Amino acid sequence: MKAHKIIVIGDFGVGKTSLIRRYVLDVFSDQYRATLGVHLYKHSDTIPINGTEELVKLVLWDIEGAPLPGEQMMRYSLGASGAIVVGDLTRTDMTEPMQRAADMIEARLPGRPMGFALNKCDIAPVPDTAEIAALKDRYGAFIACTSAKTGDAVPALFRDLTLRIIGGKAESV
Amino acid sequence: MSSVSSFDAHIILEGIRIVAVRVDEDLIVNEVVGDWCDIPVGEDVRDTVPALIGMEEELAQEVPYLQLPFVSLGMQHEQPVAISVQRDTGTGHLWILLRDVSEEASVQERLVHQHNSLAIAHKELSAARDAVLAADQAKTRFLANISHELRTPLNVVIGGASILRKPRKTPLSNEDVQAFSDDIHDCGVLLLQLVDDLIDLSRAETGNLTIYEEWCNPSAIITEIIRLARGLPEAQGVDILYQPNGSEPELFADPRRVKQILLNLLSNAVKVCGPGSRVFIETAIVENGDMTITVRDTGPGMSSEDLTIALEPFGQPNAETRSRGTGLGLAIVARLADLHQAEFNIVTAPGEGLSATTRFPSRRLSSLNG
Repeated sequence: MKAHKIIVIGDFGVGKTSLIRRYVLDVFSDQYRATLGVHLYKHSDTIPINGTEELVKLVLWDIEGAPLPGEQMMRYSLGASGAIVVGDLTRTDMTEPMQRAADMIEARLPGRPMGFALNKCDIAPVPDTAEIAALKDRYGAFIACTSAKTGDAVPALFRDLTLRIIGGKAESV
Repeated sequence: MSSVSSFDAHIILEGIRIVAVRVDEDLIVNEVVGDWCDIPVGEDVRDTVPALIGMEEELAQEVPYLQLPFVSLGMQHEQPVAISVQRDTGTGHLWILLRDVSEEASVQERLVHQHNSLAIAHKELSAARDAVLAADQAKTRFLANISHELRTPLNVVIGGASILRKPRKTPLSNEDVQAFSDDIHDCGVLLLQLVDDLIDLSRAETGNLTIYEEWCNPSAIITEIIRLARGLPEAQGVDILYQPNGSEPELFADPRRVKQILLNLLSNAVKVCGPGSRVFIETAIVENGDMTITVRDTGPGMSSEDLTIALEPFGQPNAETRSRGTGLGLAIVARLADLHQAEFNIVTAPGEGLSATTRFPSRRLSSLNG
């Protein structure tokens, strides 16, 4: 069975590792520890695809939040089937770094599905701004308001992206 | 790898935390050189090195170029490895090299930690610097205000006294003398109040404002401050209404300071209300047993922006009342309430009057008969 590589990128401390660990291990920790390089998580999930439960294998690439040289990011994104860009709802400048990350994905992985995770929705309201709507429209991506802390919308985020990778019908997030 | 045999490689890599893995075109492990980590021969290398998943096209290249400096399996162990792939140009074999980069990662982690600590320290220092700058600006504003507030009544005193003492051929009329004397007296009273307020505010800011608490009767205090307020010139024609219910508990507080709180609020209320308007003083025991004393007027009220200004020392958003107070009253009231562990709260809106409530905690209350 083919495994699918998904890269998860975003600024420092937005919750990339927490989202992945919530999805894969169903755990959460308040202790922040910066990711160095890449942490890989292998995960198998059963997803309803066109009405049938199917087993899918995923390799999730948790990539460090520091700005990386373009060449290094190119190596990390090589062969990825899809990407999740994570933003932090508590930050006033949330969309700008998300846009930069999305531009990078568009350049490196043209045509691959992309999802935006607006994380920490348990502690910050989701603003109804034109900026967020523009993100969705510009990159043809889907948006999920997530909380790694409570688990809200986290499995749905990864499953929706997986469905788009496989070409199945997406469930609503 | 082009000129190194497998045998040579075994010798070179012995004791070094590097493993070289030779795979076939299906990425099945054919040979493992080095014993640092366990890579099973005969199995798909992607099962133990999942970083290679998705890299199949790159690995199939005649000269693959793949170097991943820091990769670790987050769910299994934290040990990071550097992965690089090379094809032996002589044999055409594909070699995957895995190198333990724990030490580099440890150094890098320390650097990141130090960088983060420095960033936090920088943020804290910036905040402290901003606070110092804000305090300095507040001090400058305060000095500018205090100069103005002192000079205005002093000018009236000096000007009035100069007119009175000036030798003249025709003496001033009795009415003029009375008017100048009144101005001098009123400005003297205002200056005294300003100095008293400044002393209180200064003591409150430095934590030296002391209260002398005793059991006191709120109704008696309110009745007294109403009598004092009715003597204010601005109170002429203003109806001050208070209906004691006779069952108010005693309050453990500094009666002089409670009077100061209520007189400040009441004098503010009568100043903004014109003749024919009404000001209410209401007491209540709320659901958790706390006692509230509210001074409510039917005056013009104020916006939330003006209220913020009014709560600042010397903040007087209403130009019409500016010359009639020190502008320190609400700032002092808030600090006096705080000294009694009381909450001070103002509810107002333009055109809807103003309601100022001081809420004393229940632990400060006792039955009158108790």
